[in-house]
Amino acid sequence: MKNNLFLVLAITALLFNSCASDDTADIYITDNSVVNNTTNNTNTGGNEEEEDIPINAAEYSSDLVLEANKTYTISGPVIMAEGATLVINEGVTIKAVATGADVYIAISQGAQIIANGTASKPIVMTSGDANPAAGQWGGLILLGKAPINSVTGNATSTSEIGSLPYGGTDNADSSGVLRYVRVEYSGGAADGSSENNGFSFYGVGAGTTVDYIQAYEGADDGIEFFGGTVNVNHAVVINCQDDSIDWTEGFTGSITNAYVKHGAEHDKGFECDGYNTDIGNLSNPKFWSKPTVKDVTIVGLGSGTGNEAVRLRAGTQGIFDNIAIEGFEEGFDLDGDVGANSDNPTGTGVINGDLDVTNVTFTDVTTKMKNDTGETFTEADFITGDGNGTGTDYAAWGAGWTVGN
Amino acid sequence: MRYFILFIALLTVSFSNAQDTGSIVGKLTDKEYNNEPLAFANVLIKGTTKGTTSDFDGLYGFESLAPGTYILQFSFVGYETQEIPTEVVVGKITQVNVIMGASAASLDEVVITTTTKRESETALLLEQKKAVEMKQSIGAQELSRKGIGDAAGAVSKISGVSKQEGSSNVYVRGLGDRYLNTTLNGLSLPSNDVNKKNIDLNLFASDVIENVSISKAYSSKYYADFSAGNVNISSKDYSGNGFFDFGIGTEINTNAIGKDFVKSEGTGHFGFYNRYEHDPFSVIISHGFDPVNGGTPINTSFGGAFGKSFNFKNGSKLSFYGTGSFENDFQYRKGSNIDYTNVEKKAFETSEEFEYGTTTTAMASIIYKVDNNNTFKINSLFVNNSSDKVGYFGIDGKGRNRDAIANTDEGFYQQNIQFNENLIYVNQLLGTHKFDKLDIDWGFGHNFVNAHEPDRKRLSFENYQFALDNDPNTNPIFYSNVDFDNQRYFQDIQDEELNGRLNLAFKPFETVKINIGYNGRSKERRFNNIRYGYDIIDNSGIANVNALNSFFTLDNLNLKDNQGTYEIKVIKPYPNLSNTNRPGQPENTYKGKLDIYAGYLNTEIGFGENWLVIPGIRVESFEQYIEYDVINLGVNGKDNISASDVLFLPSLSIKHSLKEDHNIRFSASQTISLPEFKEVAPFVYESVSQRIGGNPDLLGQKPGETYTNVKDVSYSKILNLDLKYEWFVTKSELISLGAFYKQIEDPVNQVVAFDATGTQRFFRTGDKAKIMGVEAEIRKNIITNEDDESQLSFGINATYMHTEQSLYSNIVGSNFNVSFVKDKEELQGASPLIINTDINYSPTNFNNYDPTATLVFSYFSDRIDALGSGQLGNVIEKGIPTLDFILRNKIGETFEINFAAKNLLNPTIKYIRETNQGNIIVTSPNGKDVSNYKKGMNIGLQLKYSF
Repeated sequence: MKNNLFLVLAITALLFNSCASDDTADIYITDNSVVNNTTNNTNTGGNEEEEDIPINAAEYSSDLVLEANKTYTISGPVIMAEGATLVINEGVTIKAVATGADVYIAISQGAQIIANGTASKPIVMTSGDANPAAGQWGGLILLGKAPINSVTGNATSTSEIGSLPYGGTDNADSSGVLRYVRVEYSGGAADGSSENNGFSFYGVGAGTTVDYIQAYEGADDGIEFFGGTVNVNHAVVINCQDDSIDWTEGFTGSITNAYVKHGAEHDKGFECDGYNTDIGNLSNPKFWSKPTVKDVTIVGLGSGTGNEAVRLRAGTQGIFDNIAIEGFEEGFDLDGDVGANSDNPTGTGVINGDLDVTNVTFTDVTTKMKNDTGETFTEADFITGDGNGTGTDYAAWGAGWTVGN
Repeated sequence: MRYFILFIALLTVSFSNAQDTGSIVGKLTDKEYNNEPLAFANVLIKGTTKGTTSDFDGLYGFESLAPGTYILQFSFVGYETQEIPTEVVVGKITQVNVIMGASAASLDEVVITTTTKRESETALLLEQKKAVEMKQSIGAQELSRKGIGDAAGAVSKISGVSKQEGSSNVYVRGLGDRYLNTTLNGLSLPSNDVNKKNIDLNLFASDVIENVSISKAYSSKYYADFSAGNVNISSKDYSGNGFFDFGIGTEINTNAIGKDFVKSEGTGHFGFYNRYEHDPFSVIISHGFDPVNGGTPINTSFGGAFGKSFNFKNGSKLSFYGTGSFENDFQYRKGSNIDYTNVEKKAFETSEEFEYGTTTTAMASIIYKVDNNNTFKINSLFVNNSSDKVGYFGIDGKGRNRDAIANTDEGFYQQNIQFNENLIYVNQLLGTHKFDKLDIDWGFGHNFVNAHEPDRKRLSFENYQFALDNDPNTNPIFYSNVDFDNQRYFQDIQDEELNGRLNLAFKPFETVKINIGYNGRSKERRFNNIRYGYDIIDNSGIANVNALNSFFTLDNLNLKDNQGTYEIKVIKPYPNLSNTNRPGQPENTYKGKLDIYAGYLNTEIGFGENWLVIPGIRVESFEQYIEYDVINLGVNGKDNISASDVLFLPSLSIKHSLKEDHNIRFSASQTISLPEFKEVAPFVYESVSQRIGGNPDLLGQKPGETYTNVKDVSYSKILNLDLKYEWFVTKSELISLGAFYKQIEDPVNQVVAFDATGTQRFFRTGDKAKIMGVEAEIRKNIITNEDDESQLSFGINATYMHTEQSLYSNIVGSNFNVSFVKDKEELQGASPLIINTDINYSPTNFNNYDPTATLVFSYFSDRIDALGSGQLGNVIEKGIPTLDFILRNKIGETFEINFAAKNLLNPTIKYIRETNQGNIIVTSPNGKDVSNYKKGMNIGLQLKYSF
């Protein structure tokens, strides 16, 4: 009886079903492309042909040393656990399997990276694909114990990629050394709305040395700061498809000598938030992002292309000095709410001198300042020394180890 | 297998009756109510201690009687007592059917074979009066009178119950989906939605329902996972001579009528989809994005039911009941879609959404009544339910996205084209067996649900203002920040469950009834999803964002050297296959398993005439296991977690009859609340503006992790206290007053977690939640006719409650963290005030014409829709009044013509977030994709003919 009933139901279902259309083609893929170039050759200094050395995807609780001038491959998350150090010697190339976001290197809180490249032998982290393109792998993620303003006291938050903890109370925390390090073709989408950056600094402390880094051809931001106190010197971002330099969650370190150049696909030059707007500014006493930004050149595609060089929003503060901006419709675009006690007091920062630009030169820029903060102030209240900015001497310090300019 | 053996054993037992005595059986009918069966009347054999009461079908019986002559005494409160001499012969069954009446007795013994069920309001009120537990029901009669088309509408007419507009959420005393259970004939039902624990009650058309009841107080026969209530749907069956009826209906919605409807390509008018067999990659390569014409927005419904019974000479009876129906529903919503946290992230102030819904229901039941003591029932239910939605967000060209690339001030635009189909199969086998002092009641069931979300399409554009400017030289462009801003998404869930129940009711004395029972269920869920993102290479502009099939052609797919215009990306490629322009593996999978086995014992002890005390104990063991493989959690993405425990749950209920028609009831119990699979599995579901994911910490701590304010518990303990006074003024009038208190330890809430993306996750957010409230209900006849039938009557029920939960200042879990600024808050979903009321006019002075007019009103006050974490304010669902008018006209015995006008007040459905900048309209994480919209009025006509 039950079987008959099922039959009737099945027939009914068929009748109803007959009105929905199908004609979906079967697909046969003849795939001649090669994804995983692990047996490819490289010439990094030595002339003899060498095999690439695979690094297994895992969480490492002991040190890992990458020998100079060798080529390594990664195929999944390589996570250094607390207490472990990843040593990368000069001239090392790390090739990531081009499968998107789940391939990245993360330095957890309490772990360190010692990446000591040189101008002639930089350390390169790149896509292993024969036709490298933006977004083919994750990127480099550092997580430290310096303050973030999305939590109260010594609580931590968790990273967008990999759900690793970051943040704390140690201003001088050290995640190690990044010197002459280039990250290329990163920014793979981690899910429907998160992407890896080139360099992600999560609550990284001032004890970390970051000098001479480049993000090149990334699908998301070039360098992103989630809180922290790290001081970055000599930073280059070229052809990154989202924001070239991005800060949020109470970043209070510094950026000195930075060179940003947009490619055909891009978002803002700098995108700057005072705090993580999904959660709120929960710091006590309350603080906002307020880095020192000095000697910076930002090159856009021209004022007719509807773009912004620096977006300042969600209550961010910051002291800009010696900035050169070229080829943008808008120079500085400020967003916020009215009132010092509002959720987004960006304008208050300008009035109080916590958000301020000194010595800037605009070349091919239509609007120097756009004020959407609701507060009333003049361009002169925000910008002094218009025409005095010279930017950074990228040609001198960027020679040899950077690409793409 | 275990169930099968049990079944065989029961069969064997039920057919072994001794044959040296005789028996008396019969049926009592109610003269005051169309000769419907009279339940709970007393039948005594005069001069002996033997007595019984009639059951819901008015049936009673005495077995194993020595041959001879007896005098049967029939009595019922307010009715005339009758005495009838009866002869008992060895091996024979004497049938004595009696019509009971309030007035002078008519001692006609008539054998009547009318159908009667617990579908009349009076019968259900009587049941409530006599019931041992606190339970409220709404039957088929009341459903049709109030124009309620489904079970969801039915429960929302019960006191303390409200329904969320635009979703299947039902709140009982402020406790939502996760605190409710739904059963069909006492056996667990699966959910049709991965985000829900309970099945959408809208799926149960009124032809399937004999009655819907909510038990708001716990009794040990229910599963321990009981907090707010158990919704039970009793399915219809039939036991008469045979009938066949057929109905058709048509309806318009004042918002939808006249709109050019659109729907997904490839879906059928009846809500089916034919491409599940294909790999999603084949589907996206073979079929385009563009929606197609959705037809004329006039709702139609048709359906029929039949029943037939066969009486056999040996007294057994075989009855069939079958029903099938189809209905569709066009809805059009125009409002805003806004995501505002501490800043405005994305705002579409003008958005529209078209939704075409269908429900196809088929049910068949077969009852084999072996004799008056043994009955078997097979029940099969099939439901196909679909929703076909097309949403256009930012149609005025003024949409804003703070992370837009081209322009953050205007021109942001998104489309969402989504089809959901749920196929539900429920098969049950039920039996009841009565012996001298023992009643056995058992059932087992198999549930299978396949919930599909095939090929959801999402498209994002910037500069949409250029599509409206009539300048062919300026066009919108794709927004392609992440590859998945333009995407196609596939999701598939399968739930399968086996469950069973067995209750032995043993009555050693007149005043004591012992219930011993067993429940078991084994449930398994499999989940997987995959999506393909469209990375745009040639972003030079799109003239018509609704005609993209010419852009996303196979020729334009960029297979090499940037000759194409777009590429397809997948998050999890196959090993050795590229993530570009290739099929991929499922992004997220999880498998959940829940096994529960329980035994219980409760004893109904009568003390004197007026006291009934029921102590109970339940011992339940549960095991919950989830294994998952999800993206974006690094090395923690592939893991499993399990929890198990054995629980001892005491319960006590007391019923005291003050006078004949007055009851006082008290109930106290300890129950639990288990987390759902979706709350535990850390997979993230993304809708147009919301991201919601699970949190494994709900099942307790893992070794080696450090936690703050994460307790090592896998369930919430709940204390339930209820007190209720009922006065059954007449058989159709009632006054009741109640008070309740609940305390929930370690309650679970869905809040925005601190993971840098604004994803909502589930946390045990505080130490305790408390709910206290009062309920009142009045049903009153204003005008009655000479036969005491009500002509004008009204009913009102209202609930007022206060809720409070404590919040931790800071939670640090294994993967996810959150904090709260406030230390306490109201409970999500708890409206302080809920009112349901109706007025009914049914004049009886026409011969062949029975009209019934009903005006139904309900209201819930503002409530928290989503709790704010961190600095975020709460999302508030604004209170909504609903007013419906229903006119039913029965002409003769065979024809009905019915008119309904619903949602007459047409209120604005609105959600707001409380912020420092004031209240801001937002989209609800739990409601529709637009907010601040009106549903429109539904005006419809239905014709029904019975053969």
